[in-house]
Amino acid sequence: MTKTSLSRRSRAEKWTATLALLLICVGFILPFVWMLSTSLKTLENAMTMPPEWWPSPMVPENYSAVLENKKLDFPLLAHNTLMVALLTVLGTTISSAIVAYGFAKIDFKGRGLLFGVMLATMMIPFPVVMVSLFTIFRWMGDNTPLQFLGTLRPLWLPAWFGSAFNIFLLRQFFMTIPDELSEAATVDGCSEWGIFRHIILPLSRSALVVVALFTFMGAWNDFLGPLVYIQHPGQYTLALGLQTFQSQHGGTQWNLLMAASLLVIMPIIILFFLAQKSFIQGIATTGMKG
Amino acid sequence: MTRKESQQLGKGLAFLSPWLIGFLVFTLLPVALSLYYSFCDYSLLQSPAYIGTENYRQLAADPIFLKSLKNTLIYALMALPAGLMVSLGLAMLLNQKVPGQAAYRTIIFLPSLVPTVASAMLWLWLFNAKLGLINNLLDQAPFSWMISALNFVLGILHLPQIATPIGWLTDPLYAMPALALMSLWGVGHTVVIYLAGLQDVPGELLESAEIDGAGAWTRMRHVTLPMLSPVIFFNLIMGIIGTLQVFAVPYIMTQGNPARATYFFTMYLYDNAFRYLKMGYASAMAWIQLLIILALTAFAFWSSKRWVHYQGK
Amino acid sequence: MQILKQGFSAILAVLAVFFLIFGGRREQGSHEGRVVVNYWEKWTGNEAEQMGQIVDDFNNTVGKEKGIYVQYLSMSSVDQKTLVATAAGVPPDIAGLWDPQVTQFASINALEPLDELAKAHGIREGYYKPVYWDACRYKGRLWALISTPAAAALHYNKALFVEKAKELRAAGLDANRAPRTLDELDRYAKVLDEYETVRGRKQVKISGYLPMEPGWFMQYTVYWFGGRLFDEKTQKLTINSPKMIEAYKWIQSYSKKLGKDSMTEFRSGFGSFASAQNPFLVGTVAMEQQGPWMANYIEDLKPSMNRWKMSKEQERKLPYEARQANYQWGAAPFPSAVANLENATYAGFDTLTIPRGSKHKKEAFEFIAYVNRQDVMEKLNSLHCKNSPLAKVSTKFINEHPNPYIDVFEKLAASPHAHGVPKIPIWPEVSEELGVVAQRVYLLEAEPKQALDEAQARLQLKWDDYRARQRARNSQNAANGGGA
Repeated sequence: MTKTSLSRRSRAEKWTATLALLLICVGFILPFVWMLSTSLKTLENAMTMPPEWWPSPMVPENYSAVLENKKLDFPLLAHNTLMVALLTVLGTTISSAIVAYGFAKIDFKGRGLLFGVMLATMMIPFPVVMVSLFTIFRWMGDNTPLQFLGTLRPLWLPAWFGSAFNIFLLRQFFMTIPDELSEAATVDGCSEWGIFRHIILPLSRSALVVVALFTFMGAWNDFLGPLVYIQHPGQYTLALGLQTFQSQHGGTQWNLLMAASLLVIMPIIILFFLAQKSFIQGIATTGMKG
Repeated sequence: MTRKESQQLGKGLAFLSPWLIGFLVFTLLPVALSLYYSFCDYSLLQSPAYIGTENYRQLAADPIFLKSLKNTLIYALMALPAGLMVSLGLAMLLNQKVPGQAAYRTIIFLPSLVPTVASAMLWLWLFNAKLGLINNLLDQAPFSWMISALNFVLGILHLPQIATPIGWLTDPLYAMPALALMSLWGVGHTVVIYLAGLQDVPGELLESAEIDGAGAWTRMRHVTLPMLSPVIFFNLIMGIIGTLQVFAVPYIMTQGNPARATYFFTMYLYDNAFRYLKMGYASAMAWIQLLIILALTAFAFWSSKRWVHYQGK
Repeated sequence: MQILKQGFSAILAVLAVFFLIFGGRREQGSHEGRVVVNYWEKWTGNEAEQMGQIVDDFNNTVGKEKGIYVQYLSMSSVDQKTLVATAAGVPPDIAGLWDPQVTQFASINALEPLDELAKAHGIREGYYKPVYWDACRYKGRLWALISTPAAAALHYNKALFVEKAKELRAAGLDANRAPRTLDELDRYAKVLDEYETVRGRKQVKISGYLPMEPGWFMQYTVYWFGGRLFDEKTQKLTINSPKMIEAYKWIQSYSKKLGKDSMTEFRSGFGSFASAQNPFLVGTVAMEQQGPWMANYIEDLKPSMNRWKMSKEQERKLPYEARQANYQWGAAPFPSAVANLENATYAGFDTLTIPRGSKHKKEAFEFIAYVNRQDVMEKLNSLHCKNSPLAKVSTKFINEHPNPYIDVFEKLAASPHAHGVPKIPIWPEVSEELGVVAQRVYLLEAEPKQALDEAQARLQLKWDDYRARQRARNSQNAANGGGA
């Protein structure tokens, strides 16, 4: 096989890929365009069937209506949400990585059993433990100097004890790192913590970024948790604030809901756009495995 | 236990300790309570009263429980394999070094960021039988020809033909596939995990395979897929757990309609717990769900020995 | 670089600990030494704001005098949040639940009985219209009072009637009034139905009437057939009674008339309720069953229907009786299927309850009593565009109400043939099942009798089981020395 035919084929593959991507992306960006256009419509036009893609009249005032909403202090909500999200990301990334290392690289009796138990915890529907959890936080509030109910703590504290999804994800990635690397380090007198900290973690950057990113997004958009634990409007998170525009029995202000939703998800879209680069950089760091 | 073994155990438990503490406080306790509740008459607002296996016995004879279980399994059979394949395909496309790669990746991920209510509203329109985009497309060539051709074949086989316009969410026959189709659009998370996994597939290996004359399919079958198998396995497990707990989208979009054609297990569980105030009954359902998922996961683990290759070993 | 990174992590960790200890204290919110009453409500949007006005009024007047501050919070799924908070022992002091929950929650002592407090404030039988008073009671005690009530009535599009005046006359019907019997309604509907041919397919263009649009009260259809859903005396569900079967046959007759598939396709083109594409506002459904709030929604979404002949300014100069002519729509009692059943209706309402475990019962009731003052009640229900639950209604309320047909709703709510939600604790489950029965029936998946028989068998079993469990619980409690 000659070099030219090879490059011709890979060029053809590239073109097919681009074409396919373009087509698929049209389908995937549709909802976003729709949200954007709805957010700029009057309430009357918002629910027209079939939808008009170009809003007329255009109502950019929807955005100021959301931001200057009397009942909803948007900057405060953003502050609360950011606080919860950052603490959650920090806690879960650190603790999940430590636990995942234990599951992936240390061979001890009962590991398989504990791993199975951990996986099983993901299968419990949240509504079932919700009430018990609530009771536990209440008990903790009554019996420790710290308050839990009516504060933001129940939202981020559990994250510091690892999350099963992230532990499993990181464990799968740690497992792909050859054992010879850590064995060599042990010979060099490196402690278990040292191997984790200086060999495994640097090699797992892309996975860690994924974990941090997903956790951030999850915490940013989490609705059920705040719904259960937060009662005071001063502690509302953005996702909880969004429901102000939404009603169970009709009367939803769709244009405002979409404008507010866009304001809420815009930071994560930007974050994602920037962070996805680290996947590419991930190649550079773990490329040595070839 | 040898000294080495106990040393390993100590080290392992030390690394596991954050999770172990959290597990005991935030998971084991609530879960143990829910197991106890499943043997109780418990309305949340009255103290639980022990009634033995009564909840489980009643579940076995509850037609709605069985219907919701059947619906959920059918949905999982449709959405899970399709989701795994579509997301893998997308991830491979997104892994190509093409101009605008970052933008494509972001766009594919966008639907997972759109709040559920917003995407539900959009899809209600897309699926609308009369005004929806999908049916309007199907009315145009070449899709209309395809449907005619398909109906011709179905006619020869004496099978019921496809009646247009299709009532995507109003016809009990189509409501479930419609939801499965919609789920494909929210695969962003899975795609990202695949993408991260694909970074660990060494480029040199693929290049040497290409120089050896291996086509795209062969390279995928013999290099990429085996290298990616731990990640595929992860997504499979998460898919089992996720699809069997499907809740929010049908709860908002169809409320289980038409005639309970899209009424899923978790919806009935949720209704029992919070609308009918039968926490005991709901807990029993949760434990049955747990056991089903556990069995399926165990099967996946058992089969994984044949097809998942860990490099570490 | 490494040091920088580690330093950064350390700072974050310190911040976290700091936040854990000092951050996010529970806000106790003492308002100038006043007792804070937490009030959770279900509404969002305009309706939430309107209730907010009432709360502000209270806080500035009666609340100020008596040292009470109502902290008002509207949220979705208020019932579930109340449930979880009550179960955990930190309930709100007032919860605005839905009407089925009065019986459901009261049957398991999840609410505080209000008899004594109501009596002390002069609220007793006779203060409310009978249907509402009865609906607030369960097992001889009072568990809730009302914030905003409603009654279901027939709404019809006068313009479509006028358009088809000739055809209606030919069928022996009067285009200037609403149908008065169910049989007449069917005949009106048939004349008003309109079809069109699109791409060689016959499609429904306008439907005279559709039981499932919006279908909110479909499970109560039997009220207009002279039947009931639950027999309180024998404690038996009666959902497969002959009258029920008749009612569901009537529902089914509409999808048989239009054709199942064309009806389904027709309905799928409808816009959502709270949009300008609402089929009643667009004029694709000529008659439907709705509540008094419709006038407000029309004003917001299609104001022209409230200004058919003249502007609002001109209308205001007219005497009250003449005002109705300026509306493109009319409201009338929904006709009954049998004779001597005038003004039959389903009467629903939103409640004010005190969940068990509230720490400020007396203060909470001060607010509930305030809302139930005639002037406050009439202000709130004018804002919400609903009728009043009270027996006494001022002429001012009627004359200045945003709904020109409010007297129709007042009449319906006061009628002896008005019925509320059946008083059976498992009603939410029964209601859900009846919704599915209706779908099976109008999708022609099952015959009414068969579907209702199946539902009756299943639900009676659930109901018997519910009672058996409560009995077992009570006898166990008695055995344990009568502990709560």
